[in-house]
Amino acid sequence: MGYGSYLLFRSANAVLVLIAVVLVSSIIFNASVEKEMVATIEESISIRIASPIYRGLNSTERQELMNLWREQEYKRHGLDQPYWIRVLIQSRDVITLNLGEATIMRSPTGASEVLQIILEALPWTIMLFTTATIIQILLGLYLGLKAAQGVGGLLDRSVSVFAMLSNSLPMWWFGMLMIFALSYGLNLFPSSGKVSIPPPSDPFLYVIDVLWHMALPLITVVFVSFGAWTYITRNIVVGTLQEDFVMAARAKGMPERKVIYGHVLRSASPPIVTMSIFSLLGSLGGAIITESVFSWPGMGRLYWIALQSGDVKVLLGLTFITTFLYLVATVAVDLVYGFLDPRVKVGLTGRKR
Amino acid sequence: MGVRNFWREYRRYKIGLIGLAFLAFFVGMAVFAPLIAPAEAYYRWSDITYWEEYPKGVPPEWINFFSAKKSATQFVITRPKFVEKNITFTYNYQFDVPPSDIIIKVSTSATDEERQLSIHVSRPDGKQLDNIVRMMHKGEKTRIIFTSNDVRDWLIAWAREYETDENLEKILGREAFVNPLLILFSKTQPGILLGTAENLKGQYNVIVQLSPPTATTAKAVFTGSVFGLLGTDTLGRDLLVGIVWGSRLALLIGLLTAVLSETVGMVYGVVSAYKGGVVDEIMQRIIETIASLPFLPILIILSYTMQPTVWNLALLMVIFFWVGPVKTVRSMALQLKEQPYVEAAKALGASGWRIIARHITPQILPYFFASVALSVPGAILTEAGISFLMGAAGVSEPTWGRILHDAQRFSATINGMWWWVLSPGLLISLAGLTFVLLGSALDRILNPKLRR
Repeated sequence: MGYGSYLLFRSANAVLVLIAVVLVSSIIFNASVEKEMVATIEESISIRIASPIYRGLNSTERQELMNLWREQEYKRHGLDQPYWIRVLIQSRDVITLNLGEATIMRSPTGASEVLQIILEALPWTIMLFTTATIIQILLGLYLGLKAAQGVGGLLDRSVSVFAMLSNSLPMWWFGMLMIFALSYGLNLFPSSGKVSIPPPSDPFLYVIDVLWHMALPLITVVFVSFGAWTYITRNIVVGTLQEDFVMAARAKGMPERKVIYGHVLRSASPPIVTMSIFSLLGSLGGAIITESVFSWPGMGRLYWIALQSGDVKVLLGLTFITTFLYLVATVAVDLVYGFLDPRVKVGLTGRKR
Repeated sequence: MGVRNFWREYRRYKIGLIGLAFLAFFVGMAVFAPLIAPAEAYYRWSDITYWEEYPKGVPPEWINFFSAKKSATQFVITRPKFVEKNITFTYNYQFDVPPSDIIIKVSTSATDEERQLSIHVSRPDGKQLDNIVRMMHKGEKTRIIFTSNDVRDWLIAWAREYETDENLEKILGREAFVNPLLILFSKTQPGILLGTAENLKGQYNVIVQLSPPTATTAKAVFTGSVFGLLGTDTLGRDLLVGIVWGSRLALLIGLLTAVLSETVGMVYGVVSAYKGGVVDEIMQRIIETIASLPFLPILIILSYTMQPTVWNLALLMVIFFWVGPVKTVRSMALQLKEQPYVEAAKALGASGWRIIARHITPQILPYFFASVALSVPGAILTEAGISFLMGAAGVSEPTWGRILHDAQRFSATINGMWWWVLSPGLLISLAGLTFVLLGSALDRILNPKLRR
């Protein structure tokens, strides 16, 4: 298989998976939400009918009124159609990129289209998590490289220990600790939200305010995650440094810096680049729990609100987008890997034996 | 490899030994939980009446080691002196920070008459507080709580004469924020109502007068301003109970989920690799689909509909986590499939299942054990995360994640209750770390490439 047809094959595969995921999610979300919705509607109807306005009605009139309300509510929440029809229609809509209107939720600016709601949350997630991912990649690469160069030394061992420790920390708990230490304790940063209330009117000050609010979540995310990067980089580089071509390059008299950055890094780049792509695209999903701890209005928190409100349209829209990004990452990673590591390409073309 | 050899190898890895030490710690905690904290406290965690006599939201006792000002610890008097109609509780106060509350419980023999109950306090400086509360009461049990509105208002009224006008102005309208215990245990100086007056140490006698006197039992609890090993939360619950008992669930869920998901994944991977061809392709597509599902949202929403019990959560997690090991297992099995002894077995007429069970799987077992250990932290963290988001939802017993949920709900972070947040999270991390250490050690032994 040539390069192009492989790309096509993987993309078609990804589309199939995407459709399957939307379908499964639709099934699950609709089933779970339906029960809650029915219960809530019944409750609100019984509260409504208990009001003194309707005291004069006899029982048949009451029943009629309640049925009328029930119909209206069902229609409003989209429950008037049978389950499977809903599941299929919603799936079809989402896949054709018609994300529709949210049943309950509204964006901060009051918009009700799902796409709009998501797009208003996305920039905040990018600001926080993508920045954090970039920082942790750079930090991890640098430290991992330095640790690998001094194998077995103090930096190297500390890196391994730190990586294991920080990997066991729940990110959201660490966020709570950060709030304690830096917000409650030292009063350096605000504990939640994206901007102070009331926000500063001057645009420059507004930006500073947002950055100030972003500091704590950023520190939290980076601190918990960069350890893993450092550890992985270190392992890859250590492995690569043992290769013969490194010894050859050094024997040739090449300056160490060139050996590292010219040869070692290039050889180590396939896994690092692929992980970077995954991390960057994955960061766009935000983190549900951490964003909730900091009340940061990103995609993660949006997900949480949608789950609590039972707004299936928004849930499906979010699922679609995050899965789409994940699959794009998968396909991109495959291609980039083949591009960076020629050995793999040979494997690709030699696939059909 | 042989158990003896294995252990000799294992001993070489310090991190493995540290991991074992931690594991022993947690297993000990889980097993001896009923001895460290009463089972009843665990099962009645959400029952406020059980925690009545516990101080609310106080830090652990050991902070007294680190501060110049010593806070009062919990002090219970169950056998006061009964003299005629006086019941006397003697409290020798030598701390710098008074108790957080005084709760007096009196039981009398059942009767329909109304009786009078009043409380007097004599202080070390000779000042008396008479008739702090006067109530008519019927029936068997009575309870006086010093932080209640009546007692507080009485104490404020009593202390007024010792306070400057300026300070009286300051508390006008804000009487609800005055600490009655600080009034009681301070010298009668200006600042007494603000809590800035000097501490008064010495013997305090709290006298309960009942007329006609027919009290059968009486008890006074001077609830501490510090409590226990881990402090209490805003509802007065002893966090040690929650932590120690929570270890059972954490370990159980972690191990159960890890073992189940790794087993299913391993079998799936081996079968997929062995069958090869179309079956393999289809099985792999299924894996990809499940792996692409957003597992946290689905996990959350499924927890909404199902009861958030240990078993349900473990089941849900297994449904998502089993896809993890499949890729690696499959590639291992693919290599093993080509081995000559497999070919030989096939020539001898061995069935597919026999080959899988007898020849391929045993080679994968070392990897299996290491990855079970390494996937426990993920399970523990996920369960903690879900409990943190969802809270108790109808289940009374605490898990570490639920304790943190309550902490967040009652704004522990903003109110400075660090002990509430620190211990559950720390233990979650340590539990995860334990299995990371164990798994790393196992991995290094059983995976020859990583051997040092």
